[in-house]
Amino acid sequence: MSRVEVSKQAELFGKRRALVLVEDRIGHYPEFRDFFGRTFDFGRRGLAEPGYVSAPSGLTYALVFIGRSGEPFPDGVEIHALIPELEPLDDELVDRDLWAILCWMIEGVGGDWKVADLLATGRLLRIPAASA
Amino acid sequence: MLARLPDLPETIRSMWPYRPNFARVNGWRMHYVDEGAGDPLVLLHGNPTWGFLYRDFVKPLTAAGRRVIIPDMIGFGLSEKPTREDAHSLDGHIANLTALLRQLDLRRITLVCHDWGGPTGLGFALTNRERMHALVLMSTWAWPLPPAEFHTRMFPWRMMHAPLLGPYLLGRHNALAARGIYLSVVDREKFRERAQAAYTAVLPDPATRLLTWTWPRWIPLDDHARAFARFRWIEHELRSCALPTLMVWGREDDVFDPDTFCRKFTTLLPHAEGPHWVTGRHFLQEDSGPEIAALIVEFLQRHARDEP
Repeated sequence: MSRVEVSKQAELFGKRRALVLVEDRIGHYPEFRDFFGRTFDFGRRGLAEPGYVSAPSGLTYALVFIGRSGEPFPDGVEIHALIPELEPLDDELVDRDLWAILCWMIEGVGGDWKVADLLATGRLLRIPAASA
Repeated sequence: MLARLPDLPETIRSMWPYRPNFARVNGWRMHYVDEGAGDPLVLLHGNPTWGFLYRDFVKPLTAAGRRVIIPDMIGFGLSEKPTREDAHSLDGHIANLTALLRQLDLRRITLVCHDWGGPTGLGFALTNRERMHALVLMSTWAWPLPPAEFHTRMFPWRMMHAPLLGPYLLGRHNALAARGIYLSVVDREKFRERAQAAYTAVLPDPATRLLTWTWPRWIPLDDHARAFARFRWIEHELRSCALPTLMVWGREDDVFDPDTFCRKFTTLLPHAEGPHWVTGRHFLQEDSGPEIAALIVEFLQRHARDEP
């Protein structure tokens, strides 16, 4: 449903990273940190490279994980869109992609976290991507 | 990263004609309104509002011979808005308030507490008892567990502030100010027409909205929560608090449901008056501001008569 896939590599030539979403506390609910650890194999790859995902628009996003002394890794994450280096963001397109990435995340976290609840929350809050 | 009064829509400024004041508190720049003269009433808002929530209180309270002080919590309203989550903690916000009220050297304070204004204000009141006169409690809480049933729900509460979802829903889309307050008033059309813009205008960019998803993360849901010990202390100290207390609650409050929360406050503060019921959901000031202000005036006049 979310049409988001992990990419092993990203084409970086001619691209810039545009910061589109920041989370300072990914372990607020520890299952979210666990999900990213499983998905991007931190134990083996560590901080060597970002995690990359491709989104429904075809854009690739880099997930840059942040550590903080005294806290389990990762403590935060930045999501960057990889876009042509001199071009502005298409904000609506990015917003739809982010929604898809969040749905993919909730699907992956699993347990009590249900995509149906996220969709219902998005509709209640009138999030455009949730109604698309 | 400050919102400024001139940035507010003219219709909103006409409802908020009060002179802005700023103080350096605990390392941050805090905005507050200071009107009238007499024993002070300090009106405390919560998430995601600001002093504007109390716009219908200022005239009746000052007319009754009170000084009215309305701070904007750091992170909201016209106060400074830190951009890192670690800038916010319950203890830090109590210290912010403490700094302001000590700078103003206020005595005989009546604290009016709503939402996060409750734990924040009570944290001040219980450590500065010699400055206190009375409490007014509205749709708030003061203990670690149990939380409100609303706060345990996955839909919509935990989804709204979960990792990455908080920054997206409440940050990019300003959903708490743009939609959450609307859903938590009774007369939604009146609110949309007259007041909603005041709450969204002061949170113009995602980075200014950080506290809207950070505060929900500070509500204890279990005994590992960051604020668990502070809330346990507040609950313990409140049991020995003899301050005259008035409870005002919205009949339709579905966030801090009256059956659970008024009963608990009555257990902790058996001398408390009320609850007085008014029309209102969580943001009861929007539906019943003048009525609540009148209840406060009457409550304080009654206690003034009883004083030796």
